[in-house]
Amino acid sequence: MVSAQKGQVRVITGNATGAYGAMLCRPDVIAAYPITPQSEIAEQLAQFKADGVIDSEFVEVEGENSAMNVVLAASVAGGRVFTATSSYGLVFMYDALQETSGFRAPVVMVNANRETPGIHAVSSGQQDMISARDAGWVQIITENDQEILDQIIMAYMLAEDNDILLPVMVNYDGFYLSYLAEAVEIYQIEDVDKFLAPLKKQSPRQKLVPGVSQGCGTHGMEMGYVEARYKHTQAMERVKNKVDEIDKKFGDYFGRYYGGQIEEYRTDDADIIIIASGSATGTARTVIDAKREQGIKVGLIKLRLFRPFPAERLIQALKGKKAIGVIDRSICFGWKYGPICMELKVLTQELGSVPILSYIDGLANLDITIPHIGRVVDEVNEAAKGKPYQDVTWIPMEE
Amino acid sequence: MVIKHKNIFKTQSAWSNADEKMLCLDTGSWRTSRPVLDKDKCNYCGLCALFCPPQCMNDMGDHYEANLDFCKGCGICANECPRKAITMVPEGEFTDG
Amino acid sequence: MVETTKKRNRVFNYFCQDEQFAGGVAWCAGCPMELIARLTPKVLGKNMIFVGTPGCAAPVLHGQNIGAWHRMAYLASVMTGVPSKATGLSRYYNRIGQDATVVCFTGDGCATDVGFQPLSGAAERQEKFIYLAYDNEGYMNTGNQRSSATQIGAATTTTPVGKIGKGKSNAQKNMPMIMLMHKPTYMATATVSHLEDFIKKLQKAKEKSKEGFVYLHLFSPCPVGWRIDSSKVIEVCREAVRTNYFPLWEAENGKPRITVNVANPKPILEFTKLMRKYSHLKEDGLAELQKQVDERYALLKTLVNAGT
Repeated sequence: MVSAQKGQVRVITGNATGAYGAMLCRPDVIAAYPITPQSEIAEQLAQFKADGVIDSEFVEVEGENSAMNVVLAASVAGGRVFTATSSYGLVFMYDALQETSGFRAPVVMVNANRETPGIHAVSSGQQDMISARDAGWVQIITENDQEILDQIIMAYMLAEDNDILLPVMVNYDGFYLSYLAEAVEIYQIEDVDKFLAPLKKQSPRQKLVPGVSQGCGTHGMEMGYVEARYKHTQAMERVKNKVDEIDKKFGDYFGRYYGGQIEEYRTDDADIIIIASGSATGTARTVIDAKREQGIKVGLIKLRLFRPFPAERLIQALKGKKAIGVIDRSICFGWKYGPICMELKVLTQELGSVPILSYIDGLANLDITIPHIGRVVDEVNEAAKGKPYQDVTWIPMEE
Repeated sequence: MVIKHKNIFKTQSAWSNADEKMLCLDTGSWRTSRPVLDKDKCNYCGLCALFCPPQCMNDMGDHYEANLDFCKGCGICANECPRKAITMVPEGEFTDG
Repeated sequence: MVETTKKRNRVFNYFCQDEQFAGGVAWCAGCPMELIARLTPKVLGKNMIFVGTPGCAAPVLHGQNIGAWHRMAYLASVMTGVPSKATGLSRYYNRIGQDATVVCFTGDGCATDVGFQPLSGAAERQEKFIYLAYDNEGYMNTGNQRSSATQIGAATTTTPVGKIGKGKSNAQKNMPMIMLMHKPTYMATATVSHLEDFIKKLQKAKEKSKEGFVYLHLFSPCPVGWRIDSSKVIEVCREAVRTNYFPLWEAENGKPRITVNVANPKPILEFTKLMRKYSHLKEDGLAELQKQVDERYALLKTLVNAGT
């Protein structure tokens, strides 16, 4: 495949990018319900429909639970589908999220990350996504508007692959990215068609067709249930390499590479590593560069794939490092560490007795600032020298 | 891990399929009494067959007969027959059950 | 010997498809919902697809691993997602030009309680499918708990009769009327004692579901939960109609029309005496129930008269 033509560069918000990303993939059925900070996607897609830019069925549902159910059924019937949500909207979909992954429906959804716990908070945070981590979905976190667009295209490539057949949730920081307008290259739709064309060459997936004897959503009885669950987890395992493969193909064609499961930045010769995700990684890169100039050999890992957790790639990237700092934009009830840190701690055996420092920051729209990340680098650096360190730090609570 | 399990589903997703495996219960064994027809009273109106919840009345050309493999013995046919041609007789009085 | 007509009931002529279910399935003896489930595909014909949910129908509509109890295409759903899933199906089939009659098959608990929001939403959007609610006035599959379709005074396991308790203290949600206010393309109430009425409505439902939303509310007394002799279930349906407890009517585009006129409605006792769920009701309880029935019927009449 030769490279794609140059697309049109427009300055648009993350939400609008989400809508453009969907538009480029020609979904058959779209269902969306407005919620801050995602509403603009629903509006933009409705406008596309009104302007005749898309010919998708557009269902203006009466709630997020219905949004997920509409796209789930259309997906089971054989269609390509799209929806978008955030925060409590995601929570309101929770039963349908389980069905979507359990039915192995290749639904693609974007989720504008927003706080979700009991206290009402109309502000950014990854808590919504974390609360849905055991719903059996693939969860990918993006950093900027262009990555949102690119990841939606890659998400269809992943979800609809016959080896995978799992729903994919493309996450981006609400408020930070949803309302941030930046330059985005919107590819030619014919090029996206070409990129996604291999999906059509696969043998057709199982579809619900009227008049054909078949029941989707059968009772999993004993070993039937166990088998379905086993296959689901095996598919999750296959996602990891597939994400890397698709990233390579996407980069070769459209010219942008994201590193697949994780993106490594100046990690090769690094002694210490900072792990971050989402929009904060841009800030982190600036800090890494500055600290490098001060002589601290620090590198950055941007976690892109959260579910399944990219254990193998992380072990490879972290092996031999002297200390690790993990910045979480969410909390983990029942553990003092942040969720990404907690998951990383599972790899302690593979990583040796390296200090892993957990930082909670950026909750409720509080910025993860350059000084914040600077502090993280300094403390992790001290820990690497064998100095005592604090296990968990809620950065804003110490200011 | 050594997998000994033989797959139940051929595909990734768990779907049922009547062409491959049609399930059926021996609901005839639930019955405590069975419908017995007095052919002399029957005028083949078909109401017994229409009202039968398991739809298990076989059309015999001039009357209907319950398929005892599936008849649950609810007694609706006997109650609804406009000519009272059907009687529910306790299973204990039969030797074939 | 009685002279035979040798002519079958004309209701048979409405059937256009063979039985779709296995002969023996796990529905209780005498259950009218089984009759509804078996007749519906016979009348609606091929390319019908059921969307079902946990409830009395689920043990048979859902498969068990690879095995199935029926030959139809079927999509299982949790109770909150049935009309939304039907929306997804009908929109997609419509888009690709696939002929399909999508039928939601749920109980009253799903329709009137936990699954009401998406039902109302789909009705408002005039989605092109049939929503069929079999109303057994409670959560019968889980053991006879009250739903908002349970009528006042009824004894259920969550509105039991005791030293203080007198059965359900609130009146039934008037679901057909609520759906009428959504102005669906077509809606009807029906029951299996009046088979031709029911089947004609099913046929009309199929036709009208190509244009917009269709709601069918089917009275389906539960022999186990209501404690009815299984042989008397059809009789209970008939008496429900004759007492105006469950009047039979239909509405096209929000204009209601009574399809089975009851010239001299019987007192409610003729209905309640056939079951034990109302057996604790004394004169005042019965009077209250009669009042509910009369009020509801009067409202229907008013709308019928105004709707022309």
